[in-house]
Amino acid sequence: MNCINFIVPMNPCPCGHYPDMARCRCAPYEVRRYLGRVSGPILDRIDICVEVEPLRFRDMIEKPAGESSAQIRERVLAARKMQSDRFAGTKLRFNTDMGVADVEKYCRLEEKERNYMERMFSVMHLSARGYHRILKVARTIADLEGSTGIREEHLAEAICYRYNGGQDI
Amino acid sequence: MTDEQTEKAYMHWLYQAAGMGSRGFLRGLEQLGTAQILYDTARKERLEAKVSARYQDKARKLQALAKSSEIKGILEEYERMLSRGISFVTVKEASYPRKLAQIGDAPYGLYYAGRLPVDEGRSIAVIGARNCTEYGRYMAKEFGTVLAQAGVQIISGMARGIDGIGQRAALDAGGYSLGVLGCGVDVCYPRENRDVYEQLLVKGGVCSEYPPGIEPRAVLFPPRNRIISGLCDGVLVIEAKGRSGTLITVDMALEQGREVYAVPGRVTDALSEGCNRLIRQGAQLVMSPEELLEDLQAGLTGYMNQSVIGRQPVLHLSGIRDKVFKILDFQPQSMERLQEAYRKAYGDSIAVPKLCYELLQLYAEGYVGQADGKYYFKKE
Repeated sequence: MNCINFIVPMNPCPCGHYPDMARCRCAPYEVRRYLGRVSGPILDRIDICVEVEPLRFRDMIEKPAGESSAQIRERVLAARKMQSDRFAGTKLRFNTDMGVADVEKYCRLEEKERNYMERMFSVMHLSARGYHRILKVARTIADLEGSTGIREEHLAEAICYRYNGGQDI
Repeated sequence: MTDEQTEKAYMHWLYQAAGMGSRGFLRGLEQLGTAQILYDTARKERLEAKVSARYQDKARKLQALAKSSEIKGILEEYERMLSRGISFVTVKEASYPRKLAQIGDAPYGLYYAGRLPVDEGRSIAVIGARNCTEYGRYMAKEFGTVLAQAGVQIISGMARGIDGIGQRAALDAGGYSLGVLGCGVDVCYPRENRDVYEQLLVKGGVCSEYPPGIEPRAVLFPPRNRIISGLCDGVLVIEAKGRSGTLITVDMALEQGREVYAVPGRVTDALSEGCNRLIRQGAQLVMSPEELLEDLQAGLTGYMNQSVIGRQPVLHLSGIRDKVFKILDFQPQSMERLQEAYRKAYGDSIAVPKLCYELLQLYAEGYVGQADGKYYFKKE
């Protein structure tokens, strides 16, 4: 059973400014090589990749808009409650503990969502592992929203969090 | 081998033996007879006595090389080069590009594979930053494609970024392109432009003043820029920083009396600074390939002056998808920045799941691209 949270920061390129081409001094192949230092199989096991923009002065002195940590905590606790209800009577505790069979049982998609995933599977060149992990992340996103079913937008967000490499440069 | 070919073999030996930057020396030697005569002379007599004082060192070196080079080896080496598809032409010959022959410091000899541009045709050098933006990429492709379709020969340095993109577009459009290299014509540099290089050999050409086998070195590149501009009627700068190697080519072009065209950009874009400055200094501002063609009078008349904007596909998007598409830029942006742009543009916020959903739809339909990492940009 999974018992570690693997969280790791990384620069977008050797100089750190990519994709701001006015400041980035790296050649495209250098960016590629830099990102390529993390092997595909490892990336395939990372569920959530997000780009973090540099903080601007304004961001530092102004109070950020949006939810407070306390509010987010409430949502997380509610999502955890959903998960413990879902897995009551099983060995599972969180969505991340689900194996392939569990995913099929607990992350069942309606026809519309299934068609959506079928399309995205080929568009985003997903792997079988990727597919199952996306369903688990989408399940969690739905839990955080308090939604019983997994909707297209939940799937879309989970797909967007997967690192699929640069494909268009 | 015919007499003519034999003489060329000697000429080729002489060019290499004299070394780089020997244009004046070689011009002087021409007075003494054919390359074959020179070779014989150098083996038997004192060459130093026959050349001016400033070329004494070169003459001594040439004499030593002549004494150690056998006729058989000279002929064999030349034949071997020809059999590899590499030709050699000197400025004395009619097949040497006419436009290039007219510049002050035209290379004495030129190696090429594929074919050289046609003298009668119009030629434009498409040049710019190696590290270009999506905007530059788009413009290079647009100009390369349309100019090539109109029969304009696209000359460039096969470098990363603008050069290679413009040339690739020209070849893809079925046009002619020539790569002027800073290494031997049998060396592909940069390696990532292997596809362009190989297509050039078949559909266009590559040329260099450096002998085959010469590996790229930083010092070899600035001199080759004079060849790029020398072969052209004009140079088109797509993107360049304020201080850019591209501007060396522009200086060469101006010295050679070539037209300079520049694609403008936003004042705040570092990669457009070079272009904008050139325009202020008198370069011609071009907003579309058609404008350039009109200026070249390449036989294209009767169309409206239109900017590239008018030609972008009209997408029939609606609702939020349209709103998301409109905040995208050629410059890749992160999810965070896109959310911010959305808020600025429309006054209301867009939730991450919704934004992801619309981006994925646009991506699946080919309107949006994803750069290395999680950055999204508007596609051509």
